[in-house]
Amino acid sequence: MGGSIKLSVDSDLDLVVLVANAVRGVCLELASEETVDAIERAVVEAVNNVIKHGYGNDHGHNVDISLQVASDRIVVDIDDQAPPMPRSQLRKAAAHRFDFDAANAGEIPESGMGLAIIRMSMDKVEYRSRPDGNRLRMTKNIPLKDGR
Amino acid sequence: MNIADQRKGSLLVAVVNEKRIDAARSTAFKSYVDDKVGKGDRRIIVDLTLVQFVDSSGLGALVFGLKRVGSDGLFALVGLSPSVMRLFSMTRMDRVFRLYPTVEEAVAVNSAS
Repeated sequence: MGGSIKLSVDSDLDLVVLVANAVRGVCLELASEETVDAIERAVVEAVNNVIKHGYGNDHGHNVDISLQVASDRIVVDIDDQAPPMPRSQLRKAAAHRFDFDAANAGEIPESGMGLAIIRMSMDKVEYRSRPDGNRLRMTKNIPLKDGR
Repeated sequence: MNIADQRKGSLLVAVVNEKRIDAARSTAFKSYVDDKVGKGDRRIIVDLTLVQFVDSSGLGALVFGLKRVGSDGLFALVGLSPSVMRLFSMTRMDRVFRLYPTVEEAVAVNSAS
């Protein structure tokens, strides 16, 4: 089984639920509930990130989502034309381990968790920025379902 | 954001009648908590039974609530779905919040304290 599905959504946080539901619907045909949760979580964080930090919550810009399905993995690309994510932010996310002291309220994070959640939810995360736009590629390996 | 609340003794039980606490709703949730705490409610049980999805903004809003009630307050969560529980485990927030399966249990445990 293979194929691809493309979605495009306006840069409006109220519309991210539509992307989430579409991605969830496609992935539920292919993967376990737990895997689908992880993909939905990562896609929502990625699209939110583009809208909030890339476009500064300014409506009227496109966020493009593409799902490529193979027998053993689902690859999701998030494309945008916003200013690129700073490298320092990517490095910080890669190092995030949620190893805060739970007894110390001041240490418990309230923000800055999105990229770390993406990294922990997916098997591979790549980001590239070019003059024609940015692409976050997220890959989730999926165990073969019976009969596939 | 649709949140219905009722008082159980010194506790405020807030039922979130939404499927998601996400970036589109987290500000409204924080405002709700901020308003309640500002009016004197610092022992709050949040019923998340209907909530199927929480993102990092929603998680941040819940952490805001926990911090807002203060160290001698209560900000307990009830009825986490498997999906939401997986997020809590991944981010280690399951160590941070008092979690209960039902409102009845949360009320029973915290009514005496």
